[in-house]
Amino acid sequence: MNGLIWGLIIALIALGLSLIFGVMGIVNMAHGDLYMVGAVLAFYLFPLLGNFWLALLVVPLIIAVIAAPIERFVLRPYEGHHAVTMIATVGISFILQQAALATYGGIPKKMPDPWEVSFNLFGVSYPGYRFLIAGISIVILAAIWIFLYRTSYGVLIRASIQDQDMAAAMGIDVNKVLVGTFVLGSVLAAIGGVLAAPITQVFYLMGNDVALLAFIVVIIGGLGSLGGTLVAALSLCSLEGVLSAVLNPTQSKAAIFVVMIIILMIRPRGLFGEPEH
Amino acid sequence: MTGNLLEVVGVSMHFGGLTAVDEVSYKIGAGEVRGIIGPNGAGKTTLFNVITGEFKPSSGKIYLKGEDITGLAPDRICQKGMSRTFQLTYVFPEMTVYQCVWVGVYSKARRAGTLFFSRADHLKEAADKTMELCRLVGLEDKRDELASNLSYGDQKVLEIAMALSTDPALLLLDEPTQGVGPKEADSIVQLIELLSQRMSILLIEHNIDIILRVCHNLTVLSFGRVIADGSCEEIGRNEEVQRIYLGEITCS
Amino acid sequence: MERKGMVTRFALVSLVVLAILGVVLPSGARSLVVQIMIFSIFAMGYDICLGYTNQCSLGHSMFFGAGAYGAILSVMSFKLGLIPALGVALLVGFLFSFLLGLICVRLSEAYFVIVTAIISAVFHLLAMDMTWLTGGDDGLSATIPPISQRISQLSLYNPYVNYYFVFFFLLMSYLVLTRMIGAPLGRIFISIRENPRRAHFLGYNVTRYKLVAFVLSGIFGALSGALYAMTLRYASADYFSFYWSVLPIVWCLIGGTGTLAGCWLGVALMSLFQYYVSAWFTHYLLLFGILILIILKVSRRGMLGYLTGRGTR
Repeated sequence: MNGLIWGLIIALIALGLSLIFGVMGIVNMAHGDLYMVGAVLAFYLFPLLGNFWLALLVVPLIIAVIAAPIERFVLRPYEGHHAVTMIATVGISFILQQAALATYGGIPKKMPDPWEVSFNLFGVSYPGYRFLIAGISIVILAAIWIFLYRTSYGVLIRASIQDQDMAAAMGIDVNKVLVGTFVLGSVLAAIGGVLAAPITQVFYLMGNDVALLAFIVVIIGGLGSLGGTLVAALSLCSLEGVLSAVLNPTQSKAAIFVVMIIILMIRPRGLFGEPEH
Repeated sequence: MTGNLLEVVGVSMHFGGLTAVDEVSYKIGAGEVRGIIGPNGAGKTTLFNVITGEFKPSSGKIYLKGEDITGLAPDRICQKGMSRTFQLTYVFPEMTVYQCVWVGVYSKARRAGTLFFSRADHLKEAADKTMELCRLVGLEDKRDELASNLSYGDQKVLEIAMALSTDPALLLLDEPTQGVGPKEADSIVQLIELLSQRMSILLIEHNIDIILRVCHNLTVLSFGRVIADGSCEEIGRNEEVQRIYLGEITCS
Repeated sequence: MERKGMVTRFALVSLVVLAILGVVLPSGARSLVVQIMIFSIFAMGYDICLGYTNQCSLGHSMFFGAGAYGAILSVMSFKLGLIPALGVALLVGFLFSFLLGLICVRLSEAYFVIVTAIISAVFHLLAMDMTWLTGGDDGLSATIPPISQRISQLSLYNPYVNYYFVFFFLLMSYLVLTRMIGAPLGRIFISIRENPRRAHFLGYNVTRYKLVAFVLSGIFGALSGALYAMTLRYASADYFSFYWSVLPIVWCLIGGTGTLAGCWLGVALMSLFQYYVSAWFTHYLLLFGILILIILKVSRRGMLGYLTGRGTR
């Protein structure tokens, strides 16, 4: 059950990662740190605003303000040079981590529970907040799906995933799509952080573990395949949830990792991966 | 099957819902120059890609010197004696002309034990062959130029030299005169004529004059299917071909 | 051509300078230079991967850590001599890079980057977790036997011996790698970098050569890890961290990818940067991140590349 909850959160983050790669061709090594920033912001905003829902709305705005200039000034100049752009995101990752360390501090802290209700599920007392996470994640995932497959903006983004040059040739403002995608991807990661903050320790390095999992998910699901990412996220996290009953966290990650290797040997592009980008 | 250098039998290539190549068959004998012609999008380059091993055909078989090479990887096919040029010049930009040709020469002419520690430029056999090829195509004085600094016409010639470097029995040329001026086109054609005396050539070309000058036989493709196959004269008289191409083909 | 000559001259001059510095420098600066030499071996090996075959690996910390532990554990648990311990480290590096390469080399560019990063991250976690083997974060300390059992003065505890021991390996690595790059192998690597598809059609099994490049870079990464552990008499799970995967890229980017010795410049600059900045600024990694962005702005192909007019590619 816990695994599924985390699966939804990881699905959000991995989705953002997959979008950024699919449209921009960039492997965003700072993605985990955007998650961390979301969590840190939630930590500060919740007592400030007194309302968790407000935090959920404000954080995306803050992230958008951070992410858009990053795309414009750091990433776009190297467009087309994917290895270089990826190194740039590594630089950003270090900057974000150290900035958090400097301001938030190096001690993991716990956030108060935003919804102090518990439910009785099969005789086990279950914190209501987790249902809230599930609910919100599902809503967001559904919203993203509707956005990508039912609106004209979504069509623009998906067209750019298929073929960026073609999209430009057809008059789509590719720059807007690039900024928009990067912001959307970053916001997804940050929301994941906001949702996860109350159920885990907020720590300046928390992005690393999550990023690792998100990358594994994206590789197994197939880079650029949004449906594959979702399936992989849910299955993997459920699997990890099951495994963590017998193994410690490191060992369960190693087990998931072995699964990834096996899948890669059989299908080098992930389960649902797209052919040549 | 014997006596034929290349035999393509019923090869089809489907990409998802699109059929790029549809049941194509033809043969090439030793010393033959065969042109592949047809409107744009007829599947000519895709056919090259399939024959040279980049794609495994959806159906059909390909035989080189009687051996089934269907589905083999491009490097194996190259080692077996088939070589190709590419439509857009596909060289090694940061290497010199000499080095570009050398890479292919070494691929065929390598000697065991030289890979890791011999000085590349001291291998006599490879060096001689490389110089000979540079002279043959007329790039001898430009051999120390970076490939990316060459003019377009020279790059086209380098393309051919690189395809020759692996000592092929069958050479596939994909629009070798595309985009070059008439004088350069003429020298390329002369080169092709020279080469046709020592190897078989499969040529994709749009320029009918060139086709008629060098080719013995033609295969005409349209929408991935063979609509005509025969000598130049026969094709020239073929009404369907005339319909496909605006105007008439007259044999010189 | 002229560029290659410039790099070779730079390398030879550097080697001569390094040979002299060993006796001239005060001890603090000398140990810094030893580190620079060790990392230069790592960087050269990595350049084979990145600069010569265009494989941007984010997993080389694995080989660095594996070499370090291979050496330390050989000395500690198996009581091997120094040279055999180095041999074990090289063997371990070879095995790790060969197995990892089999999985990763055939992956396309983005997958390759991510999967190498994932694999080294997982090994980092395992190394931190398996404290019985690795000592975890605290690491393992060992007493290092002398180079030769007969001449006990020839021990790495003597700073001069340590310096020239490392220098010897730098020199050997440079000669071996330069010879390989000048051999057909090097030219094949470059052709794969310039146009892998074309190289494939010219009769080369590109994946196999990429694997060779990957394994070579892993072996030299392990060598440098082993030398690092022997010099510090210490290895920790931290050697597997992502930082050690990022550093080689930064070294090569500063110094010039595809130049082999150009990255020494990158190593020197970064080591000096790290040495001085981390002394007065605790959040030195923040500047590290900013520095990465600045370096990328200056040139995508590294400073030596920029200086010899090949910057804009």
